[in-house]
Amino acid sequence: MSEEDKQNDPVMQWVTFCLGDEKYGINVMQVQEVLRISEIAPVPGAPSYVLGIINLRGNVVTVIDTRNRFGLPCQEADDASRVVIIETEDHIIGILVDSVAEVVELRASDIETAPNVGNEESSKYIQGVTSRDDELLILVDLNKFLSDDEKAELDMF
Amino acid sequence: MAHDKSPHQLVHQELALDSYLKTLLDEIPSDDAASALDNAEAQLEPARQQATEPLAPPPLEQAPKMPDIDVESSAIVNAPAVIKRQPLSLMPEWSRHEFQALFFKVDQLILAAPLTELLRTITITRQPTKIPGQPSWFIGLLDDQDKRVGVLDTGQLVYGKSRGGQRDLKQDPFKSILITQDGRWGLACDEVLSISKLEPEKVRWRTLRKKRPWLIGTVIEELTAVIDVQQLVPHRKPR
Repeated sequence: MSEEDKQNDPVMQWVTFCLGDEKYGINVMQVQEVLRISEIAPVPGAPSYVLGIINLRGNVVTVIDTRNRFGLPCQEADDASRVVIIETEDHIIGILVDSVAEVVELRASDIETAPNVGNEESSKYIQGVTSRDDELLILVDLNKFLSDDEKAELDMF
Repeated sequence: MAHDKSPHQLVHQELALDSYLKTLLDEIPSDDAASALDNAEAQLEPARQQATEPLAPPPLEQAPKMPDIDVESSAIVNAPAVIKRQPLSLMPEWSRHEFQALFFKVDQLILAAPLTELLRTITITRQPTKIPGQPSWFIGLLDDQDKRVGVLDTGQLVYGKSRGGQRDLKQDPFKSILITQDGRWGLACDEVLSISKLEPEKVRWRTLRKKRPWLIGTVIEELTAVIDVQQLVPHRKPR
């Protein structure tokens, strides 16, 4: 592949995680660390998608219930569960996932947009899908994972 | 089964069936017909059983090509009542002459779709990948022969969310998918039944389709709903 082709079709790394039967990918550049489940302190009056807050080396980080966010049924956390600390445009949040799988490399040309048949807001954080190992990987745009209003609300915790 | 039920139940069922049949054979101007359909749905199993019998069951792959038929000779084209109600151009091309229809089953309901609107049928061996944030009738994505197919819950599209949405797809998954002609959408169903030729005059066409535009007609003899696939699938383009 020529230099020009590489520029036009950059390779990105994605951290993949599992939720239910599906596998999702998030941009590795936005992943700060992956934690085992520790004590998550509930926040009174928080929206349903907020599990609570954790103390990460002196910083308070809000943990999002990703299953709730994606409309999946609740599930008790277990040994495989992880909190992925991610950095969005201006916030650091944690997302609880069933398990973290691997880091994969994908070419931009491998990513296809997912059909959007619902309203624009409900799935705007789905960046696209790609086939990998005979299954579909759903790529999540973390910058759109929370709306501006939701981010502002998180600042209140 | 009917013979297990009391005379009172039988009378109730017959009334419901009569109401449903009348609804199908009339124009359907409002939601009343939809509710009649819903109310009578549970009573219809005997009629459905009958409806499947006359259908020739050639496999889809061996279905003969649709014959070339002179459009001018088609009865539906010449029917003045139809022309008066709606310009013919608004009816799909396939409805103007004899067409082959694929009969399939969703829950207990038998539906028919024109073969020309379909590419193929596939058996579901792996559940579609669910995409977060999509409506409940969008089951998910499935890769099929280099195409990414959006799989739709036909039951929910046809029955509506209140009834069709009650199905637990984990416990009771659909078995087959009808792939639309453009390869973009898949109509999930429980069983692919048969293929049969239908003549336009044997179908009661719904020429006014303000409500439920996907229901384009009813096979008069078998009382099977004919689906306009183009109207059933979403029209939103991918982002």
